[in-house]
Amino acid sequence: MGNISAPELALDDVRVVDLAGPMGQYCTKVLADMGADVIKVERPGGDPARNLDPFVNDEPNSERSLYFYYLNTNKRGITLSLDTRAGREIFKRLVKTADVLVETFNPGYMDNLEMGYSTLSNMNPRLIMVSITGFGQAGPYKDFKAPDIVGVAMGGLMNLGGFPEDPPNYPGAFQGYNLASVDAAIGVLTALFHRDLTGEGQHIDVSMEESVSTAIELAMVSYALRKIIRKRTGRQVYRGWNEVFPCKDGFILCSPLGASGWPRILEWMNSEGMAADLKDKRYKEVLDAMADRQMDRNVSASRIDPRILRDYTQEIRHIEEVWEAFLMTHTREELYEGCQERGVRLMPVQNAKDLVNDPQLIARNFFVDVEHPELGARLKYPGAPYRLSETPWRIAKRAPLIGEHNLEIYVGELGLSSRELAALAGEGTI
Amino acid sequence: MHNKRLPLAGVRVVDFCWVTAGPMATRNLADFGAEVIKLESRTRVDLVRGYPPLSEGKTGLNVSGPFNNYNRNKLGITLNIGHPRGRDIVKRLVSISDVVSDNFTPGTMSKWGFDYERLREIKPDIIVLSMPVMGNNGPRRSFGGYGMGIAAAAGITYITGSPRRMPVGIGTAYPDAGPNPRHAAIAVLAALHYRNRTGKGQHIELAQYESTICFTGTAVLDYTVNQRVQSRMGNRLPYAAPHGAYRCKGDERWCVIAVFNEEEWRSFCQVIGNPPWTTEEKFATLLRRKENEDELDHLVEEWTRQRTAEEVMMSMQRAGVAAGVVQNGQDLLEKDEQLRFRGHYVYMEHPEAGRIAHDNVPCKLSATPGVLRRPAPILGQDNEYVYGDLLGMTEDEMNQCYVDGVFD
Repeated sequence: MGNISAPELALDDVRVVDLAGPMGQYCTKVLADMGADVIKVERPGGDPARNLDPFVNDEPNSERSLYFYYLNTNKRGITLSLDTRAGREIFKRLVKTADVLVETFNPGYMDNLEMGYSTLSNMNPRLIMVSITGFGQAGPYKDFKAPDIVGVAMGGLMNLGGFPEDPPNYPGAFQGYNLASVDAAIGVLTALFHRDLTGEGQHIDVSMEESVSTAIELAMVSYALRKIIRKRTGRQVYRGWNEVFPCKDGFILCSPLGASGWPRILEWMNSEGMAADLKDKRYKEVLDAMADRQMDRNVSASRIDPRILRDYTQEIRHIEEVWEAFLMTHTREELYEGCQERGVRLMPVQNAKDLVNDPQLIARNFFVDVEHPELGARLKYPGAPYRLSETPWRIAKRAPLIGEHNLEIYVGELGLSSRELAALAGEGTI
Repeated sequence: MHNKRLPLAGVRVVDFCWVTAGPMATRNLADFGAEVIKLESRTRVDLVRGYPPLSEGKTGLNVSGPFNNYNRNKLGITLNIGHPRGRDIVKRLVSISDVVSDNFTPGTMSKWGFDYERLREIKPDIIVLSMPVMGNNGPRRSFGGYGMGIAAAAGITYITGSPRRMPVGIGTAYPDAGPNPRHAAIAVLAALHYRNRTGKGQHIELAQYESTICFTGTAVLDYTVNQRVQSRMGNRLPYAAPHGAYRCKGDERWCVIAVFNEEEWRSFCQVIGNPPWTTEEKFATLLRRKENEDELDHLVEEWTRQRTAEEVMMSMQRAGVAAGVVQNGQDLLEKDEQLRFRGHYVYMEHPEAGRIAHDNVPCKLSATPGVLRRPAPILGQDNEYVYGDLLGMTEDEMNQCYVDGVFD
């Protein structure tokens, strides 16, 4: 087509007004990182999420929250109180220029401010408004308080992890908020596609509970089909398919003995004198049976009755002991490389330091350095979740400072005079 | 607004995805009306067709619970890509499609001649989604793993669970059902919008490992900025207490409670009847509660153990304190009044598997909602529609293809 002036960002024709709290901030980050002009509207004094830990050098300061930094890249920021009439008037002027509005208030809050979807869509019929809440806009639990832990508990995710004798594991890093956010982004982009073709806007209702409940793999299906309630199984995360084992310098995740590639792993163990008696004929059938129930083989070619495994409890225990002894003689790195090169899908349990030093991520330039002029530093961020060949994901700019773009947006784009701006600041609206 | 048109109607996807992460990605598109054509071969079916649980009392390739969950709303065809005419048919399909998707290890699609460069020769504005585990380049591009392993490698497992325990993580292949399919759908939808604007297609590479790292929050920044390696915090947060799951009456019943500020603390104390310990100095402020959190959790649990998880949730929530039952599959399907009110579980009759529950679309679009229209395809169910109606093959041609093993 040779369109030399084609835009280079997928969403740089989209303006988003962002009222989102923690539950929706990854949604607007996703849009901003693909080029949308996201205007973050914060209450005067700043978004409370600016006070969330961790902070740069552990210094609590509303301009130094790493939590806020991560979720607000590429956004512009203004301060505005929606509690004053003047504030709401300005907000509506802003919404008239917007394609998308994202909010996470309790159901009914926007309506009470006369800024519900029906009001706003009368002003701007092309508007796509997204409301993200714990339980959705209607129903008996709609007013429940829903921090992340309530979302992952009610949605069925938290029930799955941990040791049976302990409380269930709360997933790290706010997975309820993450899931609600990405589902909201799917909704926005689906609605945008529809609007491209028809010009019609709409309202999107996202429930964190529902989002989480579609990310629990087999838990719902198991009960629906067989009345099986999934139980927490500690380190045997997946019934003999995937278990956590200690090794020399940490933990790895794999099957009890290397899945279908076990003969190659056994050779490796043997070459280091660590195979014990597993080369004996009597273990072949057991090892075959163990490998046979791995996920990665063609189920239609199943050769061995899994009941065999129950008849060989003793042997399996022995195999596991030999395997564990071998694992303890190697680092995660050695096991990762050694098993993967032999076609066995072992994975290390890695922490953030491991990620930053991972040769794969380094070779792919995954991490991105983001300029923070106020800190006099470039900070290293996690990079793109996806790589689009024509419209690359990017971080062009760190998260906004409090009110950083007030002048640019109020005066430069909405046409307020500096006197008006001063008056609004005086009454606490901006 | 009574628009019956599905928002992605007219978008056609040639879907090579299999197992979990890929099919869950294209499920998002199918739910909103894209015509997703799932390619399988009789000699190499989607492995999930054999995964348990199967429908009660049924056997065969069409009754797997997970398969039928991940693939609702899609069409299914059988095609032998090893056959030269099979590959020609793929090309014909691509020429009338918008998106091609796969989650194979790098090199598989090019081996068949279906890498992006060649696909765009067939359809210049095609959008190609590939979902390799580690990415298409780099020293570990050939490494692979399943969802659970990806969660471990990406750093989620390390920061989940009790600090006194080994890292066992979330207990499910979370990346397969959580971050990766959703990020993939986002990327495809953004590319579709870009194509609407410019007429241009593109290639999307989603490395599942990288996509999952994006769900680890501040772990990376905390290390690169503060040199701190975040570790397991149990069920706690630095700025809330109590915050955790508490054992309730009954077998394996738990309720989470989360108290973030003084107002919530006072309400919490009131709900549990203001026992004397709540006024002790060691619990007077958030800071003091954090310092004495083990004891606090123990005292909270003494109260919750006497009550059902549902009672705990309802009494806390009525008083404005965040709480929620740690729900299991039965709770979701049978007890949760909110999900029932919202019609979250949709039952569809599957020709072989029977009447089965499906989870509904979690983002509800007012004008163009996603719709559960049909259950997952039985193997080769849509051969006639795709080969006959879409590609215009005659009955004779199709029969010949069956005889020659092209549709195996």
